[in-house]
Amino acid sequence: MATETPTLESLQASLDAQQAIFNMHQSMNVEVFYWWCTAIMVMIHAGFLAYEMGASRSKNALAAGVKNILALAVIIPTFYLFGWWIYNAFPGGIIPAEASGALPWSQSMGPDVQDMGTGIFWAAFALFGATTGSIMSGAVIERIRVSAFLILTVILGSAVWILAGAWGWHPDGWMLTEMGYHDVGASGVVHAIAGFFTLGVLINLGPRVGKFINGVPQQIRAHNLPMTLIGLMMIIFGFFGFLGGCIIFNGGDTGWTTIYNNPTNLSAFAFNTLMGFAGGVIGCYIATRDPFWTMSGGLVGIISVAAGLDLYDPGLAFIIATCVSFIAVGAAKFLEKKGIDDAVGAVSVHGVTGVVAVILVGVFAGGTPNVGGNPAISLYGQTVCAIVMAVLGFVPGYLVSYILKKFNVLRVPENVEVLGLDEVEILAHPYPESVPAKGNTTESGDLEAKGA
Amino acid sequence: MGTSITSWENVSAYFTFADSPILLMLFSLGVAGIVVGLIRFIMKHETKAFDNHK
Repeated sequence: MATETPTLESLQASLDAQQAIFNMHQSMNVEVFYWWCTAIMVMIHAGFLAYEMGASRSKNALAAGVKNILALAVIIPTFYLFGWWIYNAFPGGIIPAEASGALPWSQSMGPDVQDMGTGIFWAAFALFGATTGSIMSGAVIERIRVSAFLILTVILGSAVWILAGAWGWHPDGWMLTEMGYHDVGASGVVHAIAGFFTLGVLINLGPRVGKFINGVPQQIRAHNLPMTLIGLMMIIFGFFGFLGGCIIFNGGDTGWTTIYNNPTNLSAFAFNTLMGFAGGVIGCYIATRDPFWTMSGGLVGIISVAAGLDLYDPGLAFIIATCVSFIAVGAAKFLEKKGIDDAVGAVSVHGVTGVVAVILVGVFAGGTPNVGGNPAISLYGQTVCAIVMAVLGFVPGYLVSYILKKFNVLRVPENVEVLGLDEVEILAHPYPESVPAKGNTTESGDLEAKGA
Repeated sequence: MGTSITSWENVSAYFTFADSPILLMLFSLGVAGIVVGLIRFIMKHETKAFDNHK
């Protein structure tokens, strides 16, 4: 059988064909990676759902759940309408740059066989936004109007956080290019923003009926603490999608990088994510011995090291997480003493922890160089940016909720709050055969002894 | 009628009306309208429910 002698041209053609196949597979791998990160992030919302429903009294369980589901449903389309554009248009500050390709009527904002990046990155960012919007959700349970909550969560999840993302995550973001900002796991751009936005809302919303008696804070018990704990664990699961989505999967020979283009990999993230989780749980357990706070400690721990996830020694991450847990618990107690009713501790778990985490990168990783000629990480830069994050979160949260309050559309009427939102608003009952939604709870939420 | 393509050769953006920015803007307005309408709908439902329990 005769065989053709390969020529230089035929070998080159074969090599080009192989290279094209390799490049296509690289692009597909990028898509596959972020597809699953996005899917895993949906678990965060399953977790928030269980967490908040369990943390509510039974008379508000379904209302808390519906609010949570709708938050996810409105943040996705609004992030499509203007969130993605904000990220691409505002890296320089508050003057928009040209980003017409990110407008919803652009050809790049739809199915395109030649674009294997826009859709999947948009999806991951949309889920980041939904997570940010949902952080506020648990804090305001049992007394906020769903309509007001949805307005606030759209502003937080589809506008405010992504503006912070443009400043602190975008390769041209002014925080990076001028301050050397480092926040790979979103301690600032997601958690600090959401926590301080929530604080602004809580100030105007006010505490639940019965939370403070003569100024003394009362414990309003969760009606299903086991479900809350499982929900928190589901959020931890979802964090792996969230943090995976914070890493850049490059095609070609570059390998993994952070959003700031310095080398990293999933192994680096794995060390410190788990060590942070463990330290947070232990710290919050020691600080409180409370089951809710013990599990919330997992969140505190991860958030406390997320900003420097690529840089910390795992032992250091563990110690940081343990210590920051005490700060988070202390902040929650302080806020309660000041009359803030944060039903799930979101301001301290996300806001205070996020701000501290950003500053700690300056303490423990100050001097680390950035690539591309950007300034090195510094304590000054991290501190300034942490303050910017807190202010950027707080101001719109306070102002918009203040306006809603002035129009009397922020909070449900007191008699409705006492009856329970499920009885008034929801066309279903959470436990129809065992725990009637009406008239079964005292003001502090304890089940009355009715022979059950 | 709504297709943006006549052949799969060299195709890029292929979703309905991808070649018509005016229509895509109208769809965007539709998305915004549904979200705003939802919030308005919930407001009405809340007000009615609250009134029923005065």
